[in-house]
Amino acid sequence: MMECHDVLRRLWEYLDGALDPATSQEVADHLSMCARCFPEYQTQMKFLEATAKSWREDPAAAAPEEFKARLRASLNAIRQRPRDPK
Amino acid sequence: MADTESVADFEREALPHLDAVYGFARVLTRDDHAAEDLAQETFVRALEHWSQFQPGTNCRAWLFTICRNHWYRAGARARREAPTDTPELEEYASAALTAGRLQDFGGETFFDAPDLPDVLRREMLALPEEFREAVALVDLQDQSYESAAAVLGVKVGTVKSRLFRGRRMLQERLIAWAEDAGLRPVRGTP
Repeated sequence: MMECHDVLRRLWEYLDGALDPATSQEVADHLSMCARCFPEYQTQMKFLEATAKSWREDPAAAAPEEFKARLRASLNAIRQRPRDPK
Repeated sequence: MADTESVADFEREALPHLDAVYGFARVLTRDDHAAEDLAQETFVRALEHWSQFQPGTNCRAWLFTICRNHWYRAGARARREAPTDTPELEEYASAALTAGRLQDFGGETFFDAPDLPDVLRREMLALPEEFREAVALVDLQDQSYESAAAVLGVKVGTVKSRLFRGRRMLQERLIAWAEDAGLRPVRGTP
């Protein structure tokens, strides 16, 4: 049976889906019955979700349309270059 | 230049990752204009070397690798390796080091704070680059440890070490911000 310190040590890997299935199940089993580790699991999950969301919802996250247009023009220019002789 | 078919492949495989590459470039450069230049150079190079891309592999990670390599090469920036990169130790510490501290802020109050997204973005960009890169690839760009390791050219253990340290640094900074913002009384104050 996994102890609290083992679970906390593996918590981020568990949340990242990076543990093997057997270890992941052991962590899940422990979390389901541990009053100390479960709140920590919830907090860490919220932290990771908040971090990803802050970036996803950043108004400046997407490349500006003007830049996209410029990029496409550059790529088109490259495509139209004559092929290098072999 | 590439033939019509490979150009079509490039447009289908690579261009959908434009926003992600731009986002990663923003993390590296911490400047919107520099990020545009870097993202542009990334796609130009990717198109020029499209024949080297292995179909069926992770195109986004391939583009991140080009992006990062160009960023460090173009500016002749020396990579600073974390002096205490000891993956086993870092892995052991992982979330355990900050366990309980973030919880003290009362969960919902803290995570629902209107300023939190801005603070998270600001503090993430303020992380030292080796940690910022790892957090950006795994937490913001949904890359696996293995994929991030390939982009960064390091072992998976090193990615975990940098990622976990970056997350802990970020949490420490959030805790300091929350204390300053009065989200909870500072420990020990009346």
